[in-house]
Amino acid sequence: MTEPEPEPEPTPPPPPGPTSGPAPSNAALSPATPSFAPPSAALEPGQPIVLERVSRWYGNVVAVNDISFSLGSGITGLLGPNGAGKSTLLHMLAGLLRPSSGRVLIAGRPAWHEPSTYRRIGLVPEREAVHAFLTGREFVDLAARLQRLPDPAKATERAIATVDLESVADRAVGTYSKGMRQRVKIAAALVHEPPILLLDEPFNGMDPRQRLHMMDLLRSMAAAGRTILFSSHILEEVERLADGILVIYAGRLAAAGDYREIRRLMTDRPHTFRVRSSDDRRLASWFLAEPAVFGAELRDNRLAVQVSEFSGFTRIVARVARDAGVRLFEVAPTDDSLESVFEYLVTRR
Amino acid sequence: MSLADIMLTIGAVTGRSLLGRRRTILMVLLAGAPVLLGLLVRLGGSRPNALPSALDGLVVSSVLPLVALVFGTAALGSELDDGTAVHILTKPIPRWAIVVPKVAVAGGLTALLMVPSTILAGVLIGGLGGTQLALTIAFAIAVLFGSFVYVAIFVALSAATSRGLVIGLAYSLLWEGLLSGALKGTQLFSVREYIRGIASVLAPHGTVTSIVGGNGFVFAVVAIVVVTALASWRLASYEIRASE
Repeated sequence: MTEPEPEPEPTPPPPPGPTSGPAPSNAALSPATPSFAPPSAALEPGQPIVLERVSRWYGNVVAVNDISFSLGSGITGLLGPNGAGKSTLLHMLAGLLRPSSGRVLIAGRPAWHEPSTYRRIGLVPEREAVHAFLTGREFVDLAARLQRLPDPAKATERAIATVDLESVADRAVGTYSKGMRQRVKIAAALVHEPPILLLDEPFNGMDPRQRLHMMDLLRSMAAAGRTILFSSHILEEVERLADGILVIYAGRLAAAGDYREIRRLMTDRPHTFRVRSSDDRRLASWFLAEPAVFGAELRDNRLAVQVSEFSGFTRIVARVARDAGVRLFEVAPTDDSLESVFEYLVTRR
Repeated sequence: MSLADIMLTIGAVTGRSLLGRRRTILMVLLAGAPVLLGLLVRLGGSRPNALPSALDGLVVSSVLPLVALVFGTAALGSELDDGTAVHILTKPIPRWAIVVPKVAVAGGLTALLMVPSTILAGVLIGGLGGTQLALTIAFAIAVLFGSFVYVAIFVALSAATSRGLVIGLAYSLLWEGLLSGALKGTQLFSVREYIRGIASVLAPHGTVTSIVGGNGFVFAVVAIVVVTALASWRLASYEIRASE
């Protein structure tokens, strides 16, 4: 029971995005296919968030199973179906759960049993519970005081303004709507301007305008070098906001990195392109002669082309059109949305 | 912000949390029960001889543990159960700086209700005679100590288990109520016995008996310190309940 040590000097922001397992250092990362070598150690020990072979079990139930990754600055979305282990992972990162095995490091220090790491973390828990009798201002001020800030009142006003909550700051939190509660929790998490933000379903209950405001805020914080990890079950939110994703399924890390890059690495699943041209029928017949193309379909006056390799098709499409004497108006992949990637990663297991 | 300021802040929030309208009314009614009984006794005439057993049976053995149980488990256990504790636990402060103000505030509120209740009940039953008043004051001081010991134990139980209220009730009813009567050795671990010990030293000679005697003071202080330290240690290893 010692007083927490003084905060160490801040380190320069590391390169953005998540990295995982023993993948090459320049990799945007691969889906964790069976051929994916089992993670052994985190790649970048200097990153703000590092997990090394972390598992967590409750009796016979394994909630998180041998997960390794590191996160640098930027916004990372944590995805997974209900019960996949997202909250368990976030709780371990926040020092609220002890890993059964492995290490969770925040700014180089263990997250568990180390209150001083809370100087560097801002946590927005999923549960709505707040001290209902406090006003919004008092709630944020409490966080500022417990962070031992030199001027808690000033920091409180700044945080409340950041989440656009000034007009109701003197109302009891118990009278707040769900969206307001989310925002006051975010204000309390931001009050000490932490370099690492952990947010569990942060947009729950917010209206569309508040969501956009919060997304802008998180983007600007990420641009300033902060590391932001947020969980969400709304894929559109993650797609719009995140620089990279972590997909958890059944307690395992299914994939990490840029989801478009992950999609391109799914070589066992054909890619579909939508093509518009001056003569779709003629172009379809030319495409079918190409070995990389194994399907072309005209439906609702649109040409859908199925190919085995994403980049291979992008290299040949212009040549084929030229050889066929057809003008191309549009070539667009149709199934590299995050939803498609997520569905693939989850249903194939 | 010094650690003292931090503890004052946590203490203030704990106090506001504990003084919710319904809980406050319930606790005032509970603490008023000995006074009400004293009033009924008084209406039938002063009963000086009944004073030691009345204060022991009504205040020390019945109402005090219940009030302390409600405040002690609510101070930390309720926050851990409903998730509001996360907002305090995820701050760079040592865990003892969370536990100490919670014990102090919950113990203080228990004493604030139970000491006047003891004095009023004692005066109503025993009157303002020299010996009877001294006995009443002795019990009031003992109850002051007992409030903090009980609360420290119940706060520690809340930190250790989500069933702090049930276990606390079992401690008070079974351990102190039944086992302490049957097995004298268990009285060394009975707050009720520490309170009797303190009262026996302060009260006029021979009016209160206790097997721990003057050691009640020592046992009470040691219990507060040890149990608060255990609660802090347990809270340092607190794990949130999985929501998935």
